[in-house]
Amino acid sequence: MSERKTGKSGGWSRRGILKAGATAGAVSALSIGTPTFFIKDAWAQKAIGNFPVKGKSVVFGFNVPQTGAYADEGADELRAYKLAVKHLNEGGGMLETLKPSSLKGNGLLGKKVEYVVGDTQTNPDAARTSARRMIERDKVIMFGGGSSSAVAIAQQYLAQELGVIFMCGLTHSNDTTGKDKRRYGFRHFFNAYMSGKALAPVLAKEYGKDRRAFHLTADYTWGHTQYESIKQFTEKEGWTTVGNIMTPLKATDFSQFLTAVLNSDADVLVLNHYGKNMINSLTQAVEFGMRDMQKNGKQFEIVVPLYSRLMAQGAGPANIDGVLGTTNWNWTLQDAGSQAFVKSFEAEYGFPPSQAAQTCYVQTLLYANACERAGTFYPPEVIKALEDFEFEGTGPGKTLYRGGDHQCFKDILVVRGKGPDKKKGKYDLLEIVDQVKREDVIYPVNTFPGELGPYEPA
Amino acid sequence: MPVIVFAVIALTMPFWFPLVGGYAGLDTKILIWAIFAIGFDILLGFTGYLSFGHAAFFGVSAYVTGLMLLHYSANIIPAMIASVIVTTIIAVMVGFLTLRRSGIYFSILTLAFGEMFYAAALSIFSDWTGGDNGLTGLPTPELFSMPFKENNVFYLVAVLAIIGYYIARRIGNSPFGMMLRAVKSNQTRLEFTGLDVKKYKLSAFVISAIYASVAGSLMVIYEPYVATEFVHWSTSGKLVIMSVLGGVGTLFGPMIGAAFMLYFENVISAFLQEQWLLVLGLVFMFIVIFLPGGFVEGAQRLKRAIAGKAGDGNASKGASE
Repeated sequence: MSERKTGKSGGWSRRGILKAGATAGAVSALSIGTPTFFIKDAWAQKAIGNFPVKGKSVVFGFNVPQTGAYADEGADELRAYKLAVKHLNEGGGMLETLKPSSLKGNGLLGKKVEYVVGDTQTNPDAARTSARRMIERDKVIMFGGGSSSAVAIAQQYLAQELGVIFMCGLTHSNDTTGKDKRRYGFRHFFNAYMSGKALAPVLAKEYGKDRRAFHLTADYTWGHTQYESIKQFTEKEGWTTVGNIMTPLKATDFSQFLTAVLNSDADVLVLNHYGKNMINSLTQAVEFGMRDMQKNGKQFEIVVPLYSRLMAQGAGPANIDGVLGTTNWNWTLQDAGSQAFVKSFEAEYGFPPSQAAQTCYVQTLLYANACERAGTFYPPEVIKALEDFEFEGTGPGKTLYRGGDHQCFKDILVVRGKGPDKKKGKYDLLEIVDQVKREDVIYPVNTFPGELGPYEPA
Repeated sequence: MPVIVFAVIALTMPFWFPLVGGYAGLDTKILIWAIFAIGFDILLGFTGYLSFGHAAFFGVSAYVTGLMLLHYSANIIPAMIASVIVTTIIAVMVGFLTLRRSGIYFSILTLAFGEMFYAAALSIFSDWTGGDNGLTGLPTPELFSMPFKENNVFYLVAVLAIIGYYIARRIGNSPFGMMLRAVKSNQTRLEFTGLDVKKYKLSAFVISAIYASVAGSLMVIYEPYVATEFVHWSTSGKLVIMSVLGGVGTLFGPMIGAAFMLYFENVISAFLQEQWLLVLGLVFMFIVIFLPGGFVEGAQRLKRAIAGKAGDGNASKGASE
């Protein structure tokens, strides 16, 4: 810094020249040991977050729910993360299918990738504390994970504050890349708006255009935006929204809410629930006999807009038989990227990965790839490398990381639960009804308000 | 003097804490919780009233600080003052209504009030509090237009914790503290001596709430974000666990309890992974069953055991009886 100051002032005193010489000497000495970040435009890269990275290894932080309603997803995310780190260090998996890729499978920018783990407890405060530990004690260069949008949003703000990139795990709320989007937060997962856009036409086709829907909604950011999006798009198809009840995230008994649904004149129940919430509410709805009921002269239907194989497994094939929803990814996809990931995951753990695992795995690779492309861990450069990056080989079709809101756009899946008689094997629970094209789910960047914020944190 | 010992421990924390696996930031959080715990001990330890609603004071104060930073000014002084005033008013009202009952009824009443605040934050005030997402997007706190974070926050918290501990000890040794202890040992008898017991109880309750409000406000200054968790009863529960772990009524104990709990939650949990809650539960059970006086009693027993071995057996016998 002293050198730059001297240069600007214009006056080259003897002292200034000596100082500059000393600094230059120090820089060249340093650059032998740590070539990447000093050679390239040394003065533009000041310390941000945990940059520069010291030592022979670089640390990622994986902050996943190990306890709480989303613990199943968290466990699967962690499996995927461990696999991603293994592939980054040793090659394999999607490293062979990701295009364009700068990953070599021998670590990251010449450093070995290591990781630390934390528990978000599906609780924004606990997640932030845990993330802070990773950033301040373990010096992580990037952190990621999580299975709740409230948690993801809280961590995004922390990421922006501390200048450490956060690669979101499973978060489906529109707010994550909408009104709460942050320059240091990135989301590969799809969102409620895309779910609504993809799902509503299929629902209208399958169940008719004059349906009356009742929603049960998890009471936090994700539930709220999903309710709004599903309502918006189903009403566009001609449906009527009869009612909505916000249910607490920690709820396990939904019978009082289901009674209200039964007492209304609705003929469709939309469950804006995820994880154990959905497992409980769906199971109880089935116990209430809702799936065998006739209402308004029509068969009563249940819809789960955000579906996952883990949830289907928890609820059981008999309960999910025929239930429609959307998912970001499913292990039965046949493209090369998905297959490469499924094969290596199965080889490691003996069962196929969930969509939560896939998104976390891809996010880790994308971050690493961006570092390689930028040639540095310097966060603003890595962010720029991720923004508007278009790639393929991580799932069906091409994917775009939009720079305007840090949201990925790609094909998404409308799926239907497979009953006990249709499924082949324990994990074959979701049948792909429709693969909705990226062009059909993309929306203008100004659909949601919000600002990304600066590249360099204040 | 214990205050000096505490001051030395607290102020040197940034130097020794990283050596035991801690990190910058956690030390601040520990001291914030320590303030919260000292205040709680003034109520529970001195008067014996077990409040399950202290999260309400902590949380309301955090929200007021957050809203002040967001809408009024990023300066922390008006934010802190406003939080303390609002919390004091609420504490007087809640205390007035709940202190009419004692024992389990008091606990349940405070719990109900606490949950009321939680429900209000999530429903009717959700436009202000940000609902389940918590209050996000706060500016970096400032002190006279100087950004106030990291080390500055730590030293502010440490100084306030030391002052808080000093005042609490002064209260404990004063005639007023004696009255509070009298409330605990026999309230009816105290009333028969012609004293207005209610006034003493309410004072203790409000003082304790003020400690909670200072802690809640500092929490937001330490990390410009308000989680709904702050008003949730589990925050009150955590406080009770800390107090019991450390040793109720000792002032120093609850602070140790707070340090232990946060250290466990953030450092040890990394080794235990998803089993950390289970292990914490076992530790808690062990303490309640074998060491009802918490860590402080443990330390005393240890001291006595060592002293006893040195041939001073009678003294320890006398103390335990």
